[in-house]
Amino acid sequence: MPPKRKATSNVRGGTKAGRDSVVSTPGPNTPRSLGSSDEYSSASEGEKELVEENVAKFSMEAYAARRDTGQQRKQDSASHLFGNNDFTWMNLKPDHANRPMWIDPKKGRIIVESFAKYKEQALDFLTTVAEPLSRPKHIFEFALTPHSLYAAVSVGLTPEEIIGNLDMMSKTPMPENIREFILSCTHSYGKVKLVLKNTKHYIESPDPQQLQKLLQDEVIGPLRVQGTEEIITTIAPKLAGLVIPGTKNFAGVQQATDLRGKERVAEAANETPAQEDIVNILNEDDEEEESVEAVHSFEIQDDCVEIVQKRCLELGLPVLEEYDFHNDKANPSLEIDLKPSAQIRTYQEKSLSKMFGNGRAKSGLIVLPCGAGKTLVGITAACTIKKGVIILCTSSMSVHQWRSEFLKWSNINPNDIAVFTSDNKGKFSGSTGIIVTSYSMVAQTGKRSYEANKMMEFITKREWGLMILDEVHVAPANVFRKVTSTIKTHSKLGLTATLLREDDKISDLNFLIGPKLYEANWMELAEDGHIARVQCAEVWCPMTTEFYSEYLKLPSKKKPLMWTMNPRKFQAAQFLIDYHEKRGDKIIVFADNIFALKAYATKLNKAFIYGDTGNAERMRILENFQHNDKINTLFLSKIGDTSLDLPEATCLIQISSHYGSRRQEAQRLGRILRAKRRNDEGFNAFFYSLVSKDTQEMFYSSKRQAFLVDQGYAFKVITHLQGIDDLPDLAFNTPAERRELLQTILLANDADLELDDRGDDLFHTNDGKSQAMKKKKKANARRTAGALSDLAGGQDMAYVEQNKSKSKELKSGKGSAFFNKIKRENEKRRKAFAE
Amino acid sequence: MASAVSNLASFEYLEKLPGITFRKLYLEPSTALAIFRRMLPHLAKAFVMALLYMDKPFLLTDLDQWVQSNAKRQRDEALSTLSRLHIVTISAPSRQEPQVVSLTDAFRVSLRLALTGGGNHQSFGVPSSDAKSAGIELEFLDEYGRTQWEGILHYVVSTGRSGAQPTAAVQQLLEAGNLVSRGRRSTEITQAGFSFLLQEVNAQVWTLLLLWLHHAKELGMDHVEILSFFFMLGSLELGKAYSIKTLKPTQKSMLENLVDFGLVYIPPSVKDQFFPTRLATTLTSDASALRSITAGFESALSTGSGTAGFIIIETNYRLYAYTDSPLQIAVLALFTKLTTRYPNMVTGRVTRESVYRAVSSGISSDQIITYLSTHAHPELLKASAAKGGGPVLPPTVVDQIRLWQIENERMKTTYGFLFKDFESTDEYKKLLKYADEIGVLTWASKTEEKFFVSKVEQLKDYMKSLKAK
Repeated sequence: MPPKRKATSNVRGGTKAGRDSVVSTPGPNTPRSLGSSDEYSSASEGEKELVEENVAKFSMEAYAARRDTGQQRKQDSASHLFGNNDFTWMNLKPDHANRPMWIDPKKGRIIVESFAKYKEQALDFLTTVAEPLSRPKHIFEFALTPHSLYAAVSVGLTPEEIIGNLDMMSKTPMPENIREFILSCTHSYGKVKLVLKNTKHYIESPDPQQLQKLLQDEVIGPLRVQGTEEIITTIAPKLAGLVIPGTKNFAGVQQATDLRGKERVAEAANETPAQEDIVNILNEDDEEEESVEAVHSFEIQDDCVEIVQKRCLELGLPVLEEYDFHNDKANPSLEIDLKPSAQIRTYQEKSLSKMFGNGRAKSGLIVLPCGAGKTLVGITAACTIKKGVIILCTSSMSVHQWRSEFLKWSNINPNDIAVFTSDNKGKFSGSTGIIVTSYSMVAQTGKRSYEANKMMEFITKREWGLMILDEVHVAPANVFRKVTSTIKTHSKLGLTATLLREDDKISDLNFLIGPKLYEANWMELAEDGHIARVQCAEVWCPMTTEFYSEYLKLPSKKKPLMWTMNPRKFQAAQFLIDYHEKRGDKIIVFADNIFALKAYATKLNKAFIYGDTGNAERMRILENFQHNDKINTLFLSKIGDTSLDLPEATCLIQISSHYGSRRQEAQRLGRILRAKRRNDEGFNAFFYSLVSKDTQEMFYSSKRQAFLVDQGYAFKVITHLQGIDDLPDLAFNTPAERRELLQTILLANDADLELDDRGDDLFHTNDGKSQAMKKKKKANARRTAGALSDLAGGQDMAYVEQNKSKSKELKSGKGSAFFNKIKRENEKRRKAFAE
Repeated sequence: MASAVSNLASFEYLEKLPGITFRKLYLEPSTALAIFRRMLPHLAKAFVMALLYMDKPFLLTDLDQWVQSNAKRQRDEALSTLSRLHIVTISAPSRQEPQVVSLTDAFRVSLRLALTGGGNHQSFGVPSSDAKSAGIELEFLDEYGRTQWEGILHYVVSTGRSGAQPTAAVQQLLEAGNLVSRGRRSTEITQAGFSFLLQEVNAQVWTLLLLWLHHAKELGMDHVEILSFFFMLGSLELGKAYSIKTLKPTQKSMLENLVDFGLVYIPPSVKDQFFPTRLATTLTSDASALRSITAGFESALSTGSGTAGFIIIETNYRLYAYTDSPLQIAVLALFTKLTTRYPNMVTGRVTRESVYRAVSSGISSDQIITYLSTHAHPELLKASAAKGGGPVLPPTVVDQIRLWQIENERMKTTYGFLFKDFESTDEYKKLLKYADEIGVLTWASKTEEKFFVSKVEQLKDYMKSLKAK
């Protein structure tokens, strides 16, 4: 539900009036439906259309149709099995055995052998120019998309290099239409750059004609800052002496007195380890020519940047954003460096080298698996730019985590890093610094407290060097628009593990933040021990007869509860928890459904956290989970999906989930990837997904796994847990107990069925209006229909308080010292009395 | 080797033939030689060679002395194979005389003739005296045999719609042999058909020939003549022309069918000569020779890609097959959802639906798994060897394929007998208890006083004894 109706209707009018009016009023154009999780706000419709239009223009299909008709199509008896996807007409190169890949001329798919001779170079190059689709063990698949090519161009590849390399690696000659596709995509990308120099925005291009064209454009033309030179010509930048801190040659460079010394530059360029990949080897040749290449630019008005960006997109010339932070004299520099002890890993280095490819900071997305050190990448980026940094996270919990990580890895003065949340509104003391806040704090539309307003003013009034967007997949596009329009920042870095949404609107991010700069290979990181190896298993729990017959009768809305509360599943969960606790594992159990979460946790007497759990209690429970060896199992609702850093956890059990969400599955897996013990010999983390057999859950489950399976994870199906029948105190072992459970479920009303909608997709506003609304809703009286006998215990129901919450116990244990003392004394007295 | 022989189920058929047939068969030296080469374990061959030029029956106890004491089992096996094939006769044990062993007359004479030559039996075919027609080289014959045979296999996998269909006679034969079943619109492969596809080429040829032999018997053809013709074909030389004139009438009429199978080729210009193809000449090669020749033949079957394994299956169920052979692709299409085809590779996915489809047409999950693992790409083998000989295919995929099959097989049928309407509850209880004890009880309902058993004989006796009391 939108928190404020008035504002929305306002904008809706704007949408109708046409694109330009929406564009020109970016202020109120704000989140509209904070309540509907996966939906994008309609406020961005104009924009969306635009993006789609643009995407369609570059789709592969348009090029696929024009196949060279001169080619003889061979037909044989197997051809009909493939329809239009029979590419036997392509000729194999004579030495095809030495080349690792095939290109699908129709869809732009690339299939690569991971066991070929030059696989490292090939895979490295492909991750730069194409979108990885599946990377299991032997054969990888990639796709050439406009976005991936956009990203390739933005890290400095030329179309000729892309085509030349692809052709070199392909077993068949490069299909003509793919060549055309690459040329046309890259032709339009990267030709125009948006550069912030001395706080002024410039449109820059190596091609003056391109700029002339833009200047004559009816929209862009008038936006040029009047009274400036029409076109300024300067010398193109290059990776001049820029060294990313933490890399191997950083130490050496630091000692050198003149960083800009000519020899030093050449050496640094040659030494940078990240340049081992094809990309940079090729670049080296061109370096000398590049240095004399001139670029041309004109200045545009600061407040019209978004309009220009949009207009350029319309013209098929998306602008790249770059920040020349070395030469930024207007913004004060920040004292920050990585601590000498911090060593960044090769893949982190690689991803950062993509970001700082030519000595300027580019905006874009970096995709690393959970636990692979996204935070450190962000910190290193901040240390490279050394300007004011603003960091946006999903929850106040991760806000604090980011701050402490900064203090841990860098030498920043603690006074220079401030936190802006509902309970904490600090400012940094110096002229510049770092602010860590959450999306909700910045994007909030409702009334703010005086302090918060002050804080927002503080943020919006200044210019930032870098904006880090953590877990960038969670927020809808309109939030980003709001954030990027209110906060002036030179470069944006989006971090995520799972750049995918079921609604596939993730691709808009490419235009709103920047191209995907790097995506790591999960399996490779696991092999190298950077993230934990995980055994995945899907446990099939048959439905009991009574539950299944009830399941078939119920309306679809209630069905999920039936498959979650399936007694066999409960038993499986109980068994697995018992088994892994005995092995010494720390277990996280995930349940989307709050009713089930509570039922499981209380029955098994374990601690649990869900959306309504207060912040203080959360912290207490988490601390206990981490340090108390009596508390080995923790039940979490959706809120635990992302940014919860629990390196102790080594086993994960999922009992209910959000339908077919691949992202949730991957994010949850991420909770155990950073396991502390991952480098112990033979260590394996465990990921169990409990599924009720013969229900729709099976279908969702296979959908959910798709992403992880494509990353190379294998889900083992377990149909029977060995030894489950021998477990003492197995819950719901008698028909009577099961009947009773069934009754409880059937009586549960809709309010109980509510999922925890404060998962990773929404901002959970611990401080906003929505919580107040929620509370109000909860307070409503519960009405259930039932016979008098039900209440009197006629239906196997009688009131007994057996389900005490473990979470509450944890609380009382930590209660006031005074009461504890009284308790102890009472205890003593009782003992003495007994004796 | 014994194992190589025993895995050819087709030969079991021969062992069931009566002695009289064998005697007739052994009249042809080529048959005697073929059986000797193809069907005997090594020890049995040694026995035969030793006995071949002995004029008198040999004492069985003396024979025992040739064999090491710990190889008694092999000796027994060899002897029983020999006597089942009516190659040796062993006298019945009696008190007066010790047991002796000797070669049967027909076999001895024929094998001697086969080894030393001589006689005018024409059993090894008569090379045609006419001028050899031009252009019939080994490559041509291989190509011819390949297309004919692949045509048949294609028909079996039901993809022969664009290629040349095998002749009506072959189609009937395949149907009669239950390798395919005719649906409303097209023919569909059966489980037997899929097993057939998974066999080696040589075994496939034999399967089809024996099917045809059954068929021919119904037509009143003499199966001895047919069989001996098969064995003769096996002794012919590849690339040579043979005369049709010297063949027996039955054998002449067979030629037409053998042309259909691709076993022989008759040049259109010269009507009275025929060429055996590799399919025919390898019919009776012995086990070790068989392997290399079939390997050679298989590589001829699918040029370039036909070496050992060509299939890579990943943990994400994607399947990549390095092949350009329409036949292999068609076999894959039986249980995979194929997506794209490149000049030397096809990609696809094993899905729940594709496995369902395969299972519903009678292919079992185990057959699919066997096919995948026997044709696994060297990379998969290397990976499994690196792990110390783990499974070749990803275990999750194997499990899943099995589970997909099981998913549709929840109903289990048990044939048996239902007991009801007992005279008294006491009787019911006693019988139920007994049935349970002897382990034949499958289901019981105490309230309705009924039970169901899989076997009834013991229960019957028990009932009688109860009654008798």
